Parts: sequence; structure tokens; C-alpha cells
Amino acid sequence: MPDAAPRRRATATGPGRVLIAVYAIFALSATARAGVQLATKFHEAPLAYLLSAFSGVVYILATVGLARTGPSARRLAWTAVTIELVGVLVVGSLSVFDRVAFPSATVWSGYGAGYGWVPLVLPLLGLFWLYRTGRNGPEKAR
Amino acid sequence: MIHPLAVALVIVTGALAVFGIASTVLGKPPGRPLVLAVGVVEALLVVQALIAAVRVFGGARPVETSTFLIYLVVSVCVLPFFLQFARAEPNRWGGTVIAVAAVAMGVVVLRLLVLWAGTSA
Repeated sequence: MPDAAPRRRATATGPGRVLIAVYAIFALSATARAGVQLATKFHEAPLAYLLSAFSGVVYILATVGLARTGPSARRLAWTAVTIELVGVLVVGSLSVFDRVAFPSATVWSGYGAGYGWVPLVLPLLGLFWLYRTGRNGPEKAR
Repeated sequence: MIHPLAVALVIVTGALAVFGIASTVLGKPPGRPLVLAVGVVEALLVVQALIAAVRVFGGARPVETSTFLIYLVVSVCVLPFFLQFARAEPNRWGGTVIAVAAVAMGVVVLRLLVLWAGTSA
């Protein structure tokens, strides 16, 4: 039952809700992890822990952007998911080629290998979903 | 923590994930059986959290006690929210939403087990 959606399909419908669920889990785990790291051992690896916190914020913004409907939410989602993709690629590469800079793991270390590569696949799915739902014209809702 | 209960929870959360995905594959919105299954898993998680909390406050010290306690809180809070979210738009995808939460809770229980393994009494 599609709402009387203005041209674009809302991102928070159908399979998009699964995407939001995964984003919410990552928002929670990245933020909680960063919180503990910053609170208990910030001095050990400040860069890695700040990156951890940054990734948490990016996941939260992506979750909110995808879960809400409207042009500004969609812009937010596009921005957050793009930053997420750049982040996982840059941090992933740095963690592989310059281990000294990242002595401690973040969600994005090793392209998200510690999280079953989900951090690498998630932004691609997110961008695909934003592209797909963003095209004009009524979409078939399932 | 009670080891057999935690191991059982890893298995039940896995089973719940399969149940959720099956309901998506069959094209069914989350119905009463799935809600009941979530309820059972959640009840077990609550029992585990209570036991673990009692033991921590009784003096047991898992490695990274603060992390352990955060995982305990997360282990009981997530499923109710996701069940709500899964049922808010009643279509086939609700099952997979629950499966995502179930897998995440399985991982949380595994993490709890690892942290608990390094406990000093």
C-alpha cells in the first residue's frame, strides 16, 4: 500500500526497512564502541578512537536520513552514505598500508573485515537504494 | 553468565534469524508465531542479563567490565524496538528486519561469552 508519495518512493519502505535496520545496528555498535574507547583509553590511540566516533555519527545520520521521508532527509542520506563509502575505503586502505597510524581497530579497519565486510557492502547497497528510489515515476510497492 | 544459557542463546538467535528470513521468502508479514518467537528469545536474553548483572555486582569482573555491561544493556533493548519497526509496515520485509536484529544479538551474546571467559572472580 504505497502512500500518496510525491513522485519518489520513500526510502523507508519495503526492502529499505531492512537497510535501515542494518544501519541502526551499526549506528548503535559504532557509537557504543567509540563511547567506551573515548571514555576509558582515549590516550592509547586518539586518531583511531576519534575515527570510531566519527563513523558512529555517520551511521546515525545515514539511519536518520534513510528512515525519514522528504527531500532534505534524502540529501542527508546521500551525503552520509557517500561519506561512509569514502570513509571505509580510505580508512580501510590506511589500516592495511600504514598499520602504525591505526594500532587499534575501528569499524572501518581492513575494509570492515572485523564486521564480516558489512561496512564495505552497506554503503554500496545504500547508494543503490537511494538511486533506485530516487528515480521519478511511481514504483511498484511490494 | 551461565555458559549453557549463552550457548543456547546463540543457537536460538540463529534460529530466529532463519525464521525471519523464511517469512520474507514466503512473502508473509510478521505474524503471531514470529512475534511469539521474538518474545521467547527476548525473555531468555532478559534472564541472562539479570543473572550476569547479579554476578557482576556480586564481585565478578569480566575483562572490560564497562564494555560487558553495555553489551548486557544492548542485548535486552534491541529486539523490542526492531519488532516494533518490523510490524510498523506489515509486509514481507518485516521478517528480515527481525533477522537482522537476531543476528546482531547473537553476535552480542558471543562477545559477552568472550569477555566473560576472561573473568576474575
